[in-house]
Amino acid sequence: MRNHWIYFYWGIVTVKATGTGLERFINRLTRNGVLIWDVKKHGLETMTFKMSLKDMKELKQAVRNSGCKVKFLKRTGLPFLIRRLFKNSGFFVGAVLFLTVLFLLSNMIWGIEINGADPATEHKIRKELDAIGLKKGQLQFFVEEPEGIQRAIMNAVEEVTWVGVELQGTTYHFQVVEKNVPEEPEKLGPQNLVAAKKAVIVDMFIEEGQPKVDIHDHVKPGQLLVSGQIGKEGQTKSVSAKGKVYGEIWYKSEVILPLKSSFQVFNGNELRKHYLKIADFSIPIWGFKDHGYKTFEKEKKEKKFKFLKWELPITYIEDTFRESEHITRLYKENEAIEAAKEMARTDIKNGLPEDATIKGEKVLRQTIQNGKVYLSMHFQVIENIAKSYPIIQGESE
Amino acid sequence: MAKKWGHRIKSWMTTQMELPQDVMMDLPRITMIGQIHIYIENHRGLIAFSDKEVRLLLKHGQLLVKGKAFVIKTILPEEILLEGKIDQVVFLKE
Repeated sequence: MRNHWIYFYWGIVTVKATGTGLERFINRLTRNGVLIWDVKKHGLETMTFKMSLKDMKELKQAVRNSGCKVKFLKRTGLPFLIRRLFKNSGFFVGAVLFLTVLFLLSNMIWGIEINGADPATEHKIRKELDAIGLKKGQLQFFVEEPEGIQRAIMNAVEEVTWVGVELQGTTYHFQVVEKNVPEEPEKLGPQNLVAAKKAVIVDMFIEEGQPKVDIHDHVKPGQLLVSGQIGKEGQTKSVSAKGKVYGEIWYKSEVILPLKSSFQVFNGNELRKHYLKIADFSIPIWGFKDHGYKTFEKEKKEKKFKFLKWELPITYIEDTFRESEHITRLYKENEAIEAAKEMARTDIKNGLPEDATIKGEKVLRQTIQNGKVYLSMHFQVIENIAKSYPIIQGESE
Repeated sequence: MAKKWGHRIKSWMTTQMELPQDVMMDLPRITMIGQIHIYIENHRGLIAFSDKEVRLLLKHGQLLVKGKAFVIKTILPEEILLEGKIDQVVFLKE
């Protein structure tokens, strides 16, 4: 006995045969190698049976000169199913289209919610989001990861101290913490100006108040520079002393710089690989080459596909391999000293307010020992040393 | 005479060599499952078929199966599987 189900793929027809000599007809069919089954007799001159569609030719041959007539009652099996599918292809196309649209809509951004920002900041954030392509109707696939969005907003919008980015379903939620910019006190109370640092005064620019020191004076921290008490003795009144007092301050900076140093840099070679990960099985789509880098760093980006509220077990992965190189930097002695000086300068500048200037510099000591440059530098810096100090009522000078 | 000789040799060989007789002697092999199925191998064609009676040609004689609601489940040149309610299986000599 052969399996009948395999005939399903070929197609099965139910045949009704009428006439005399049906038995002879069956014998003829079977001798020609046609498999027939479910033979039933209905009355004397009628019978039905099933046969495979591929044996149609043999059936026609057997019908000839047999005195029987055949009629096809039912057609089942894959070929007929496919034919019917083509006939009703509208339904099929509709179903596929429906799923595709549903899939696309599930991966779209449907809302952007910003919490904790005042309207002006919110507007700025929305503009920035538009600029990086995050807007309603955009596919999530083309939008950066939350970390990237966070970075972009924090760099672009000054008013924002921190922003939390979270993707919930099809809505991006932004939790914004704004900078509290303290408002300038409009009216200053009575105050003195005192020295903030030990310095020698080089220049003074007093808007209001009574200067108590002179140029070339040497001042100590906390020493009164400009008094807020003005007027003749006995008729003093307190004002808010304002102005700038520039003093020369001496700074010392020490730098140790090894002559030989090694570090890692990226040399610009990179290779990207794209994968589609289904469950735990990843299929490479693009980038089949082996990168062949000896030292490299790998960056992995994952995008998840969603369907309605579920996350599909399908992930799009982009791997970026960046080749890195070990570079050994070897300074000559004079180069090393120059580099050390530059380092000392930047070191000093970092600690200075913006309006300070470096007036002069002097190398105090430079030695090269054990492959390292030891440099000690002296800087003369001119900066505003005035610091406001409120006058408390009842307290005399 | 020659045919008879051949028959006798075949018969002798099957008994001596313990070969199945349906293979050697073109006899039908009939398998029945209760009353519902009958499976006949080595037939020589269908003579008559209705829902109450099936007549098969054998090498020697005929086989008559009587019963009710017969359906031929499968038919091949030398095999037939019949389904229904089988009442009688009769060998007919020509």
